Amino acid sequence: MTRRPSARIAAYVGVAALALLAGLALGRPELAAVAAPLAVLVVAGLAGVRDPELAAEVTVDRERALVDDQVTLELTLRSADPVERLEVLVVVPPGMAGPDGAAGGWAVAVRLAAGEERTLAVPLTCRRWGAYRLGQVHLRAHDRFRLFTWERQLDGQAVLKVFPVPDALRALVRPFETQVSTGSHVAAQRGDGIEFADLRPFLPGDRPRSINWRATARRGDLMVNQRHPERATEVVLFLDSFLDVRGPTGSTLDRAVGAAASLAAAYLRQRDRVGLVSFGGFVQWLQPGGGQAALYRLLDTLMETQVFATAAWKGIRHLPSRTLPAKALIVALTPLVDERGVAALFDLLARGYDLAVVDISPLTHAGRATGEWDELARRLWALERETLRHRYQRLGAAVVEWRDAMHLQQVLLEVEACRRRAGLAPG
Amino acid sequence: MPAARRARTRLACGLAATAVAAVLALAPLASVEGPLRRALAWLAAAGLLLAAGAALRLASLLAPALLVLLAEYTVVLVRQGDRVHAAAPLVGAGLLLYAELASWAREARPRVRDERPVLAARATVVAASTLAALALGVLVLLAAAVPAGGGLARLAVGVVAATATLVLVAVVARPTSTRVR
Repeated sequence: MTRRPSARIAAYVGVAALALLAGLALGRPELAAVAAPLAVLVVAGLAGVRDPELAAEVTVDRERALVDDQVTLELTLRSADPVERLEVLVVVPPGMAGPDGAAGGWAVAVRLAAGEERTLAVPLTCRRWGAYRLGQVHLRAHDRFRLFTWERQLDGQAVLKVFPVPDALRALVRPFETQVSTGSHVAAQRGDGIEFADLRPFLPGDRPRSINWRATARRGDLMVNQRHPERATEVVLFLDSFLDVRGPTGSTLDRAVGAAASLAAAYLRQRDRVGLVSFGGFVQWLQPGGGQAALYRLLDTLMETQVFATAAWKGIRHLPSRTLPAKALIVALTPLVDERGVAALFDLLARGYDLAVVDISPLTHAGRATGEWDELARRLWALERETLRHRYQRLGAAVVEWRDAMHLQQVLLEVEACRRRAGLAPG
Repeated sequence: MPAARRARTRLACGLAATAVAAVLALAPLASVEGPLRRALAWLAAAGLLLAAGAALRLASLLAPALLVLLAEYTVVLVRQGDRVHAAAPLVGAGLLLYAELASWAREARPRVRDERPVLAARATVVAASTLAALALGVLVLLAAAVPAGGGLARLAVGVVAATATLVLVAVVARPTSTRVR
């Protein structure tokens, strides 16, 4: 702990010394009577001062939470010596709120008796998704006469991951091609399945239960049903994290991360394999995987997504080839603001990937136009973005602008309709 | 405790300190007359301003405020002549009470919620310190009135006390912070 003397010590001693000297010079004992209390208080304070032996420990009641959940940070304090006043400042990281909605920090002053152990429970509300390191606490102890302070800082290591609340999605973007593993998407190929596809003449080796007796009676030859098999797909969520356009109602990155988490959970629920590419100043990727473990891996990676400012050019050639499987559906979540992200999508289209682009509109977060020139710039920006979307569409990608008022489900339905119009969607 | 109430604690302590300083600054004016009274009124006004500033805004003004209030009292003492001023212990206790209340006001930060035992302990310490200061002042005056020892002995005690205080000044003028463990 760092000990600091109070400025009062110098003030009291200085005034007392001057009063005593004046008393001596003028021969007035009254000045000694005035000076004595100040000097004696300092002497008493100096004589009784002991460095407090403080022990502190920080714990958080859980490691994972959802946005708007409340977690409790417990701070246990122990002192071998009495502490008259101990100021405890718990640093509340941005994205979380302390008790009474306090942002930045929450502070309390407590008194500890010798050997006493106190546990302070600090409820924190998770306002934004992300990975947080909690437990940064500043302690400041005072002695009885407030002549000294001792300061100490605890750098907590309690990690809390806050996930966005997933949207309930009933319909997802269906991939054009499926994988060989069994899943819940009706494949374009024919094989064993439930959905009827076509009729064909009986061949040796066909199972008798496949024979369509009604068609056989009509044609005179044995006819069998062909069906579409149910297959799984691989979906790669492509998150453009080069830039974040932030406004009072939220930010493009917040929406992208929330949508990615919802999509990942929904695709994994229907036994698809989901991968992630967080493409920005700091590139992260996860190869497609399935099951609950993949979901947690993906959410953990998503929570570490942040905008890392860099001017270096980044292309998809920086990604390992296995992160973008050949038949995978790529769902890009992008504000179409940074040219590196824009170029990466063109690159994906040029390589023949099945691409669906959700354009998270930054216009709503950019604030209102305040003048004629602002309005003009805004219109030009909107036109530029529209042109860009048309360019993607001409190359075969389904692009839908996600405006502020829209629900993710609505956006996905529009993407699906767009793909159907372009002849990309199956069925 | 809501933030507004915490701010009220700070304001109450600051205003109480200012009120004590006002009594200390204005009371000596009653015992003088004429041009000296006008001069002392200016000194009292300066002291009161400094005291209010120290209590409500800038803690660094505490020492100047105490010095000005002490200077005003010293002028009154000198003016009074050889008669012992029996209210000196009250002045000493008042100065200490003012300084403690002013520092409490600076200590009560609106963002920090003080638990009730902390406030109670602080109030107890301030009250006890004031009473002890009063008692100490009376003792010093009584000791000064004891005829034993003569003028030289008293002078020696005074010199020892002043030297001890100067040693104390040297002790507290060490580097401002130390690392413990």
